[in-house]
Amino acid sequence: MGLRWLPLATQRHLMNTGLCLLLILGSFEAIMGPDLVSNLRDFTGTYGAYLLVASLLFTPLSHRFKWVKRNLWMRRNIGVWGFIYAAAHLVIWIVLEFYFDWALMLDEIKGNLFILLGIFAFFLLVPMALTSNNRAVKFLSFRKWQLLHCLTYLAIPSVIAHHFMAQKTAESEPLFMGLVLILVFIWRYRHVH
Amino acid sequence: MSIKSSAITPEKVYKRRRVLMAAGAGVLGVPLINKAYGLFQDKQEVEAPFPQVVSLPGEKNQPLIPTPYETITTYNNYYEFGVGKDDPSKAAKTLTTSPWSVDIGGEGSDKPGRYDIADIKGESAIENHIYRFRCVEAWSMVIPWNGIKLSDVIKFALPNSKAKYVRFTTINDPQQMPNAGWAGGPYVEGLTIEEAMNPLTLLSTGIYDKPLEQQNGAPIRLVVPWKYGFKYAKSIVKIELVEKMPKNTWWLQNKREYGFYANVNPQFSHPRWTQATERVIGELGRKPTLLYNGYAQEVAHLYPDLDNRLYFY
Ligand code: HEM
Repeated sequence: MGLRWLPLATQRHLMNTGLCLLLILGSFEAIMGPDLVSNLRDFTGTYGAYLLVASLLFTPLSHRFKWVKRNLWMRRNIGVWGFIYAAAHLVIWIVLEFYFDWALMLDEIKGNLFILLGIFAFFLLVPMALTSNNRAVKFLSFRKWQLLHCLTYLAIPSVIAHHFMAQKTAESEPLFMGLVLILVFIWRYRHVH
Repeated sequence: MSIKSSAITPEKVYKRRRVLMAAGAGVLGVPLINKAYGLFQDKQEVEAPFPQVVSLPGEKNQPLIPTPYETITTYNNYYEFGVGKDDPSKAAKTLTTSPWSVDIGGEGSDKPGRYDIADIKGESAIENHIYRFRCVEAWSMVIPWNGIKLSDVIKFALPNSKAKYVRFTTINDPQQMPNAGWAGGPYVEGLTIEEAMNPLTLLSTGIYDKPLEQQNGAPIRLVVPWKYGFKYAKSIVKIELVEKMPKNTWWLQNKREYGFYANVNPQFSHPRWTQATERVIGELGRKPTLLYNGYAQEVAHLYPDLDNRLYFY
């Protein structure tokens, strides 16, 4: 794109600012509706899922498109922002939906596979988010770091399953995301073999 | 902290909530947020034309304040118009609600026929009832309904000994409803004849003295305040008095999650949502959910067994 003349650090800042603004502006729009709690929860959850799926697409697409290959650094920022959106989603659930009422949350989670999948996915994302910086890569060694980040292939399918099951009837959006995910897995499999 | 969640009673939940609200909310300034949020919400305190017909236990001194009209008409579940809460208010204008007729019949009726909506409305006086509306998704509103007693319409259809249940069918027209096919057929709901004859049960034709809007189930919809909202069949085209228990749409969709009776009970949690408390739309925080949504006095006698999950999902 037309921003190549900018130093990489500036490009990064621009991207972070953009995704941060999206979170803020989207939240403003969400609270104007009749039910700010479910609007905020669904906005952050949905966009978090978009970002996480997008972060998975970088590797396969970088083999196809030069532009993606040149901008592979974006993968990390997008993934980390996906985590931040998901964290906001979780905080909204705890604070606005349940008002820190842990007993009630326990009652909600009990036997509720879609929430359990969301929590599972979130906890898998935590170590990856914490190690998304150059220092961590050095500290862990690249191989170990890469191994740790293979967890995305467990976390993101869980997110999609969570998204699908959060609906009361089968909906096309999570199904479509699932399809994209399957294509990524097929590419991975073929690429390795 | 280990709390057996089976031991949760609404009262405990309520007390816990108070303590936690005090702790958590104080820190977060939730009261402030609530106040600021209230500024957006412009609550209408309607008094005169709406006597508070049913006072809820534990809330004797706390009148039910109706939810703003704007909220009631933009936050809807009406899957035939889309699955988002804001879809129906945007998409439902395509539904023509006049002229409208309702087929009344079934093997339990001795006077079946097709009736114009005006004839049905003419059967009894329009009443005003402010009821709490409780959705199975664990949120609630307060709605000032206008409508007629369902029992008057049933009497008019001359029920015979075969009238054990009442089956309601919603209009299902793909030409007028973009997502008409979602359930593979028209939306069907049902009540036992005793539930249908209960004086709380209404066929609503309006809200806030305005004719129903399409997204709220115009021109005529069911209201059964002690049950979860999915029982309130909308835009009704057929009412049948039948011998067998009707197979209602959400039960057919997912038999584990939705039942026929669907009476509100804080003790029986839905697999997706704890039912111990509810979020009141337009307010922050949660309120304890009441048995039969607060209408136990009027309806508890209909159900012999309070411990039977059958009646509460
Ligand atoms: C990786 C983290 C997560 C992501 C990306 C994610 C994403 C999503 C998405 C896309 C939806 C559907 C939104 C819609 O219907 O428009 C959703 C719904 C939901 N999620 Fe998550 N989620 C995550 C974790 C969690 C966690 C940890 C919890 C709670 C502990 C949670 C609770 C919920 C709830 C309650 C819903 C709403 C279901 C409803 O509509 O009733 N999620 N989430």
